[in-house]
Amino acid sequence: MSTRKDFSRDKSFLIDMTKCTGCRGCQVACKQWNQLEAEQTEFFTGEGYQNPPAMSEYTFTRIKFRDYQKNGQNEFAFYKEMCMHCNEPACASVCPVGAFVKTEEGPVVYKSERCIGCRFCMIACPFNVPKYEWSKAFPLVKKCTGCYSRVKEGFAPACATACPTAITYGPREEMIKEAERRLGQYPDRYIHKVYGKEEAGGTSVIYLTNLPFDELGFKPVTMRALPGYTWDALRLVPGIFLAVGGGLSALSWFTHRRERLKREQAGEMVTESSAPQIEDTDRKEEQ
Amino acid sequence: MSAARIVKEVKGYHAFIKFLIGIVMVGVIAGMVRFIFGLGVTTNLNDTYPWGLWISFDVVTAVPLAAGAFTLGAIVHVFHIKKLEPLVRPAIVTGFLGYSLVCVGLILDLGQPHKGWQVLRPDYWNLHSPMFEVSMCVMAYTTVLFLEFLPPVAEKFGWHVPLRVLRWLEMPLVIAAAAISTLHQSSLGTFFLIAVDKLHNLWYSPLLPLLFWMSAICTGMCIIIIEATASHKYMGQPNEGELLRTLAKILPWALGAYLAVRAYSLIFMGKGPYFDRPGLTFSFMLELGIGFILPFIMFMQKSVRENDRRRNIAALLVIGGLVLNRFNVSMFGMMNEAEVYFPSIIETLVTLGIIAAHILLFVLIAKYFPIFEHHPETVDYTIPDRLHRTGEHKEKKSYKEQPVSQES
Repeated sequence: MSTRKDFSRDKSFLIDMTKCTGCRGCQVACKQWNQLEAEQTEFFTGEGYQNPPAMSEYTFTRIKFRDYQKNGQNEFAFYKEMCMHCNEPACASVCPVGAFVKTEEGPVVYKSERCIGCRFCMIACPFNVPKYEWSKAFPLVKKCTGCYSRVKEGFAPACATACPTAITYGPREEMIKEAERRLGQYPDRYIHKVYGKEEAGGTSVIYLTNLPFDELGFKPVTMRALPGYTWDALRLVPGIFLAVGGGLSALSWFTHRRERLKREQAGEMVTESSAPQIEDTDRKEEQ
Repeated sequence: MSAARIVKEVKGYHAFIKFLIGIVMVGVIAGMVRFIFGLGVTTNLNDTYPWGLWISFDVVTAVPLAAGAFTLGAIVHVFHIKKLEPLVRPAIVTGFLGYSLVCVGLILDLGQPHKGWQVLRPDYWNLHSPMFEVSMCVMAYTTVLFLEFLPPVAEKFGWHVPLRVLRWLEMPLVIAAAAISTLHQSSLGTFFLIAVDKLHNLWYSPLLPLLFWMSAICTGMCIIIIEATASHKYMGQPNEGELLRTLAKILPWALGAYLAVRAYSLIFMGKGPYFDRPGLTFSFMLELGIGFILPFIMFMQKSVRENDRRRNIAALLVIGGLVLNRFNVSMFGMMNEAEVYFPSIIETLVTLGIIAAHILLFVLIAKYFPIFEHHPETVDYTIPDRLHRTGEHKEKKSYKEQPVSQES
């Protein structure tokens, strides 16, 4: 796990959902760059218009649709679902073999050669991002890579490159500044909140929207970085081990000593009565 | 008495063993099916519920059910309540079997079982992971339990030198067992601390690790009560009622402490809403009321502690409470109402096979190795400073041959 504290230079997505047209160019670009297989899906098997019905081993990002009424007119709202690339990722903290890494550049990447398939990352992720290859006999985890292979070489991720309107990509600090500038400039156009600034301890994906976040299907998440929740308990481990081990050792030494003294006081009588018994058994065994 | 009755009993025993072997075989086949066709096809796990019956029962529940070994080891050897010693071996056998089967369950559940050993690779270690800690502890503790389990084997085959080494190791092993168990019993609770927005408020608490550890201790003792009584009743082993009474005296304290911490964590550390989902509320009431509070009150009564049947019922209630608690935390409390997980046939058969394997192996080991006959009241346990004494194992052997006559 990285012990980095400053995430301001991490490459981040600023996704302005008021500007999203729902073209799903990002979905297509993602599939192409990551060479993901097509999925046979049916319309309306999920919660709304969106297709495929959920993120999966074949789908790292997708646009969710939501229809609502504004001034008596039907409107669409969109929300791009993807890995949030948390500053302090829960998946990286719970993985027993360190298969998730928060890179210096920003994306959280998965090292499949390390994975043993315990699926704790899927339990831990507050956004339910890691997906599993349920179709395979020896499955691995699949999730958005933040296009690390592109970012490393100085390119923007596939989805951000494909998006004609809504996605801006750059250092986290600047993305937050830009988001706040938009909120200040057009206060009527947005809900006054930069989602991802504090959520789960801060993420590298930042959203602006004009609909309440819970209505778009954003789950309520804690504002505290998740690894801290388990670390609060785990950091006590060495101390507890030494305390229990040492405490019990001391206690047993003490009780045994007391026992021995008691026996030595009783002294003679014990040795006299037990000696013939041993001899007795010796003889028996010889027979 | 009548020969017919003995014949009937022997036949019953053979039928029971065959029945268990049958279930184990079915479980083994189901396990093979899982490996051939993969997790996705054979289980009802999916991206919403990546953990199912195998984690909830075979790991999260089975580990505390095997807690009797370290609890009793500490009670007998550290707190020096020596008269409970005859119960230590059955507890250790249960623990050893339990942990070995936990390892089996874990391997079945891993998506990449052939890479499971990588947890041991120092360059992969992640000290921030509760899973890392638990897997290291489980491996270490299974080894400790194996060593603790060896003495009856060595006795059976008359291996004197290993026996003496093991006797010398006894105290360090008991202390290591307690320390390692404290860590991983509690860390199983730490697992769910990260599920901060997923686990229902009725169970989510920063004190989960402590609660898991305390309830494991209570259950460990109850398992011993059940086991000793059943072995007496069905396997013709000596009646340990006297000792179980002593054990039952410790239980109200342990249960009381657990309930106090549980209440504190709910009232002062929790946050609502608590009773927003009727199903979970019911499960919570059942678990806490019938599974912990009722047996707590029962064990406070002398009439319950001294009556074999009532004591058994109270112990069973605690075990039921613990099982429900672990399922509430690891399964029911993690579910959302829209999508419900239910184990598949393969998952169920494997788990049943594991339970049957545990009972079967226990019965067989208890039959062929000196597990219950071990009444070492006469044995001197201060081996470290009296290593030169050699008569010990013989002394023990002789116990069976000349039981009470020495005292008179």
